[in-house]
Amino acid sequence: MSADAMESRLQASTVARRALAGLNPVLESLLAGVLGLLVGALLMKIWGYDPWKAYHALFVGAYGDSYGLASSLARGTPLILTALTFSICVRAGMFNIGAEGQVYLGAMAAVTVGYFSLPPGLHLIVGLLFAIIAGAIWSLGPAILKITRGVHEVISTIMFNWISHFLCYYLVANVLVDPIRGEKTISVPRSARFPILMRGTDLSYSLFAAVAFALVIYFILWHTVTGYEVRAAGLSPTAARYGGISSKRTMLLGFILGGMGAGLAGACIVMGLPPTYAEFSGLPQISNLGFDGMAVAMVGRTHPIGILVAAVFFGGLTAGGRTMQITAGVPLEMVRVVEGVIVTAMAIPELVRLFRFVWRRSSSLFAFRRAR
Amino acid sequence: MRKWGVWILVAAMLLAVPAFAGPALKGKVAVVLDVGGRGDLSFNDMGFKGTDQAAKDFGLQMTEVQSATAADYLPNIRNLARTKQYDLIICVGFLLGDALAQAAQEFPDQKFAIIDSVVDAPNVMSIVFRENEMSALVGALGGMLAAYHGYPYVGVVLGIEIPVLYHFEAGYRFGIAWGLEKYKAHEGLEALPNVGLLYVYTGTFDDIAKGKAATEAQLAQGAVAVYNVAGPLGIGDLEAITEWHNARGTKHGPPYYFGVDANQDYLGKGVHALASGMKRVDVGCYDAVKAVVEGTFQGGVVSLGLAEGGVSISGLQDLIDFIEFGIAGGALKRSEVYETVANWATNRAAIPYWIWEAVDELEKGILNGTIQVPTANTRDEMLAIRAQYPLTR
Repeated sequence: MSADAMESRLQASTVARRALAGLNPVLESLLAGVLGLLVGALLMKIWGYDPWKAYHALFVGAYGDSYGLASSLARGTPLILTALTFSICVRAGMFNIGAEGQVYLGAMAAVTVGYFSLPPGLHLIVGLLFAIIAGAIWSLGPAILKITRGVHEVISTIMFNWISHFLCYYLVANVLVDPIRGEKTISVPRSARFPILMRGTDLSYSLFAAVAFALVIYFILWHTVTGYEVRAAGLSPTAARYGGISSKRTMLLGFILGGMGAGLAGACIVMGLPPTYAEFSGLPQISNLGFDGMAVAMVGRTHPIGILVAAVFFGGLTAGGRTMQITAGVPLEMVRVVEGVIVTAMAIPELVRLFRFVWRRSSSLFAFRRAR
Repeated sequence: MRKWGVWILVAAMLLAVPAFAGPALKGKVAVVLDVGGRGDLSFNDMGFKGTDQAAKDFGLQMTEVQSATAADYLPNIRNLARTKQYDLIICVGFLLGDALAQAAQEFPDQKFAIIDSVVDAPNVMSIVFRENEMSALVGALGGMLAAYHGYPYVGVVLGIEIPVLYHFEAGYRFGIAWGLEKYKAHEGLEALPNVGLLYVYTGTFDDIAKGKAATEAQLAQGAVAVYNVAGPLGIGDLEAITEWHNARGTKHGPPYYFGVDANQDYLGKGVHALASGMKRVDVGCYDAVKAVVEGTFQGGVVSLGLAEGGVSISGLQDLIDFIEFGIAGGALKRSEVYETVANWATNRAAIPYWIWEAVDELEKGILNGTIQVPTANTRDEMLAIRAQYPLTR
């Protein structure tokens, strides 16, 4: 290749990159969302459902009135927290898939407050602390494996999820079981529940716990030295080490903060979601919150403030999806397909960025080796 | 022009009002299913089938709402009730009980029905089944078969230890004991045949592998039949029984499979499924819609047993009815229908006719009240029945 051709190609790629970088992330997400909606509409059209009616039901059910909005926020609340779990670790340079298992244990720990009584308020706080500690402890396993033995966190967190899954099956059926109703755990007593924020809806004060946690994480990551170190180690471990940052410390911090968020998410369900305030055998209320949180993190660009917006959007998809079945006659299976398409489309920009980042980092490492 | 239209409309409405003076129907019913959802060929599909049939018969529109997670139960019921468009909202399954108890309070003017759970509210019809009655028939059959074939045990694999399942266990125990007495009297024996009961609560309604493992253990100890009391786990139970036969090269005969809820006799082309303890969730749903249409709906507990056609032991007509159900659910091909009926008939014909007559006799006794089948709703009551009918060897 001639030098001229090389130069023009470089120029072209710079222009392309500038154009992409100039594209507002919000606009990018909106474009992706519209694309997702269009593909979803096409799928519904093919299977004989009315897309216009379906989307109308979706949006009215999600944001059409205060009831819809409250339902959306209620569903979004635990997702804010599990999305933060994933995001903190991404910022620290890791793929932590472990929120799922940490949510389970957080919920189990919160349920144990049913065995003793305390004044209202204090009882709630003790339950939240239990859940946060349980989530953090469960995150220590993969963290220690990663720091001491270099075990990749994707592998270890997936394995820890399964251990948690079966452990919690056992806990629900045999340890925390309600003596009168064998299908569920004991219920969290009234004194330890989040009060309902809007009567006749699922929305409780747990929303504020989630938002507060997001703001705390934002403050730590962007306004403290420790947070700066976490982000620096995430962007370039070698440069950070050169700068005197212990990447072991930042990784441990990322895992623990994430585990706290996931544990809190479990507590928000069993202490804040009517009507039973307990978990059932098979964990049907808390399953998949960790994985859905990863998608929320993608749409929210792994930023705490972006996540707050994305969680409202995700909660809306669930709340609106319920009314899609009723007013548009779209069966649950199709609702979930459409939701999946929209979510995938909206997660693509961030996914591309993440993979490009990982690829660039590894290829620069290769280049470094070759040069040696 | 527009004014004219308005006046005509008002006039039409005034004329139409007296016509709707009866039980004014909105023309819509809804079913809410739990996370089990459709496609189980059993409990949930039957709830759908019964409501669908009623909607067709009475010219109503039906809405089906499935729940993705347990967190959807209450919102789904609320969303339906909020529209104020439904004559009746049916909740299929005891897991929806807590959510309905809350929603029934919030919407006192909305009529609800629930299957398998009792919600104490004036606007809720709680439909429960006397599963002890048909389980007694299945148990009697099992007890007599064990004695006849010289097997030491009869088996049952249950799901999560909840009151509904105590009904099954209590009736099954009573039935086995009754069957053994009958066998002794018929054969003129001096003592009762030495037959015991193997029972296990697996703690799950969806882990099919656990049903298979539990069945394998019971077969190894010599169970003549295994009664499935855990919905989908029956697929695993039947698989274990089929493999047991395949390993020994036997085509028919013991050990048998006893199905539950729906008629499951057609499963596995009817080779090993001898009988089913049927619990007609579809009948319960149908009757609830009918009560609303006829204006006889009222809150409270509706108990369905043998007398009401709510439960029964499967017969030939049931097999034919449910073969259509199985084909619709994709569990059977139309080309396999005759083979299935033939397999089923071969199995049944190989059993002495007096045994079938004895089962009929028990059924008649329960129907005319001369035989009382015990039941249990709490753990203590269940322990008392276990003590009364220990069925150990």
